Amino acid sequence: MNPTAEARPVLDPLFAPPFPQAALPVLRNPQLRKNVAHAIDVIQAKRAKLVAEKTDWQELRTAASAIRMHVLENLGAYLEQFEARCTAAGGVVHWAADAAEARRIILDLLRQENASEVIKIKTMTSAEIQLNPALEEAGISPFETDLAEIILQLGEEEPSHIVVPALHVNRSQVREIFARRMGLKNLSDNPKDLTNAARTFLRQKFLTIPTAISGANFLIAETGSVGVVESEGNGRMCLTLPRAMITLAGIEKILPRFQDLEVMLQVLARSATGERMNPYTSLWTGVTPGDGPQRFHVVLLDNGRSSILAKPKQRQTLKCIRCAACMNACPVYRQTGGHAYGSVYPGPIGAILTPQLMHMKHAQSLPFASSLCGACYEVCPVKINIPEVLLELRAQVVDQERKQTGRISDPMYLGLRIANFFFASAGRFHFAQRMGRIGLGFFTGKDGWIHSLPSVGGKWTQTRDLRGLPQQSFHEWWAARGKETK
Amino acid sequence: MIRVRSTISCPSVPNMRASLFITCYNDTLFPETGRSVVTLLERVGVELDFSPQQTCCGQMHANSGFRSEAFSQAKRFVHLYRDAETVVIPSSSCVAMMRDQYPGLFEELGNDSLRKEFAALLPRIYELSEFLVDRLGVDDVGAYFPHRVAYHASCHGVRLLHLGERPYQLLAKVRGLELVPIPNAERCCGFGGTFSVKNAEVSSAMLAAKLQDVISTRAEYCTALDNSCLMHLGGAMHRQYAGMRTIHLAQILASTEGAPAEETR
Amino acid sequence: MSAPADSRQRILDSIRGASVDLAVKDRLDQASAYAALPRAYVRRGALPRQACVELMMTRLREYDAEVVECAPAQLPATIAAQLAAGGKRSVVAPAGLPAEWLVAGIDWKIDHDLPVAEIEAAEGVVTACFCAVAESGTIVLHHSATEGRRVISLLPDWHLCILHSSQVVETLPEYFDRCVKPPALATYVSGPSATADIEMTRIKGVHGPRFLNVILVRDEG
Repeated sequence: MNPTAEARPVLDPLFAPPFPQAALPVLRNPQLRKNVAHAIDVIQAKRAKLVAEKTDWQELRTAASAIRMHVLENLGAYLEQFEARCTAAGGVVHWAADAAEARRIILDLLRQENASEVIKIKTMTSAEIQLNPALEEAGISPFETDLAEIILQLGEEEPSHIVVPALHVNRSQVREIFARRMGLKNLSDNPKDLTNAARTFLRQKFLTIPTAISGANFLIAETGSVGVVESEGNGRMCLTLPRAMITLAGIEKILPRFQDLEVMLQVLARSATGERMNPYTSLWTGVTPGDGPQRFHVVLLDNGRSSILAKPKQRQTLKCIRCAACMNACPVYRQTGGHAYGSVYPGPIGAILTPQLMHMKHAQSLPFASSLCGACYEVCPVKINIPEVLLELRAQVVDQERKQTGRISDPMYLGLRIANFFFASAGRFHFAQRMGRIGLGFFTGKDGWIHSLPSVGGKWTQTRDLRGLPQQSFHEWWAARGKETK
Repeated sequence: MIRVRSTISCPSVPNMRASLFITCYNDTLFPETGRSVVTLLERVGVELDFSPQQTCCGQMHANSGFRSEAFSQAKRFVHLYRDAETVVIPSSSCVAMMRDQYPGLFEELGNDSLRKEFAALLPRIYELSEFLVDRLGVDDVGAYFPHRVAYHASCHGVRLLHLGERPYQLLAKVRGLELVPIPNAERCCGFGGTFSVKNAEVSSAMLAAKLQDVISTRAEYCTALDNSCLMHLGGAMHRQYAGMRTIHLAQILASTEGAPAEETR
Repeated sequence: MSAPADSRQRILDSIRGASVDLAVKDRLDQASAYAALPRAYVRRGALPRQACVELMMTRLREYDAEVVECAPAQLPATIAAQLAAGGKRSVVAPAGLPAEWLVAGIDWKIDHDLPVAEIEAAEGVVTACFCAVAESGTIVLHHSATEGRRVISLLPDWHLCILHSSQVVETLPEYFDRCVKPPALATYVSGPSATADIEMTRIKGVHGPRFLNVILVRDEG
């Protein structure tokens, strides 16, 4: 039973409704909107304070952006270096061209381990490849161990934010989920008690399940190390206690050297959670005898990333370090939360990453889910010019539309083509203005304002009036003034 | 909070000539803003010319993904103004279009001669507040507007043009004007061009949030450097009988005791 | 279904093909490009030593870690006092912990491959550390012989960490400068575990030790 009174959102770009449609139930959900606004206000305030205090913040951004772009420009070499070093340290590196292959590789590894259960550290990438349903289908039970992920898993909910995935769920909703699924009848809705319930519930899992799956925040090419950044400690549990460990990571997660963490760690925590440093960061290299899992695998995932790499203007998308600062700053996301984006990657980064991972065959409404205000670019720690990429993707979507036979029936498409015709000369433009005055005159009330329009115009007048077209345009006034230049 | 540079209140650039690019939507929907720009600039001694050949800068098409159409309009703009001494534009989003997107459009679709022409023209293009403060060195334009006013800092102005203090400097010198800050001043109003109809409901939700902040100032007027934002905010204010009106900054600056501002009614 | 080697090659070929626009004449080679990356950020802190160490203690206390100071000669006594104050009797210690730190009256579980169940049952753990970063209040563990395997500073609920003032640096880049070579294992602890997943209410102590005590040994001048 989903207490948010919203049909379970579809976070699969193949099936998700277009953004304007997907946003509607969310916009009508005051609880969810309040939760989202509250969550991002908290993080934004903390972030702002720390950024103000960090006198070299802009220099760090510049360095972080340069390091990440340098990696993308030398990705093949760095991946091969990572593979060699990780292998030398006792890890096994696998390469997955797409989601299906990644699932296959992971399932094979789990079968080798005779795993019927697996503990997981939160990883967006595993959601991207839809791993959990595949595991369950194969008779393997995945147990999420991040508090937010447990809430979502037990409550059969979908994540709505990259860093705080359950921000749309409030405490009484969590209480209800835990009481029901953990069998705790007298559980209060105090966050402290809820967290304790989760701690107890998970302890047994950590101590008994010998196989774990993680993602990676960073892959260090120089050493073959993997870095995971977290707050709760479930990551440390999963990568210390089990016998076998599988790390799934997008190929773009590479950093050249260990020392580059001195930049990335400074910008990541401040951007993601508004802290100088997150509580726990773990770094490990292959297998260390006597300490931690003795069997370690890395699955490197392409799944569309190399095709993004191929496009110079879009390549910057892959600089992303999944901090979610963009969605915290986004005035659109503030109103809609993550579910409206129909993807495991929501917000501004999701609006550019998702359609590109889909090779522009799906999620074409996402590049338009932005007012181009630029707040995301302002806060992005690796300086991804998200508005620039949005515009690039919009052009690609329109170029697709140009080839479609049905395009003429789309009033927006038609309207823009016609407008261009009229802007091509002053004569046409002035003619259009005169026609517009007559046409809109029919809709103009006695007060000189338009309250209702048909078709696309109706989308405006749903919530806004429009002042009727003045009888004399500026250029007509200027001409009448007799000061025309040739 | 408002740092005021001390400048002389009379025009300091003799024989200042400028070409006015009114913008397609101001020409059609907000001629009073244009009239105010003329009144204002002539008052500070600028010799203005206006080419009736002008149409649009191409922003709407560029932002909607219609790049070749945007290019043809951009090319037309450059040809029209290549010999202009200075171009003044009372719309920060149109100037942002030129600075931010014209180079890419011309790189992709133009030729060398067009790119050169534009590179030479670009430094001569000014948004209105930039023209007054930077080019003329003026912040006191002799304006009188005895009202409580809230200034909406549009996204293009803040993030792409980095207008900074300029509008505030100008507002600080308007006699009788009481300026009140809008909470969350740098948050987008939700207009976003075609976004306002393609994503009308989300745009309206953003508008509702912004309107709360603007109305909370209890100002009589909300002003800005962009009639696009003001059309969106003002359209909702009108619909809701909100008791506040919008007015372009040019109209405030043109307003004097003898000749009060033209209003949006 | 492609063989593993095929996917590897396909991906690398795809990446190589994607970088065609970068094959321009004057482009720097990988090493030179890396060396030329802009690094204008602050590397060394400007605080005098005393202030730097004070900042570290402030940060620790902000995270509700308990901090006490002592002179080097008082360290064993201070350890004993901290253990007593915490009511800890059964305590894990890394195999390489200095002998004088293994104070009397404690049931020390020296980690010569202790079974997980014993570590889980222990009341606390005492370790050294590699270094600490004052700006963020971060304690760095490289899991050497004096710091121990990762599991021993993870499972017990109470962790007593011995930090010498000479180990405290101000900025994160200074820590990296102290690494002669990259560690194979590292854990950076910047406070007790926390979650803000429920209504952004910060709850401390989810997994990992809920109690962090630090003895700051004044070993500088």
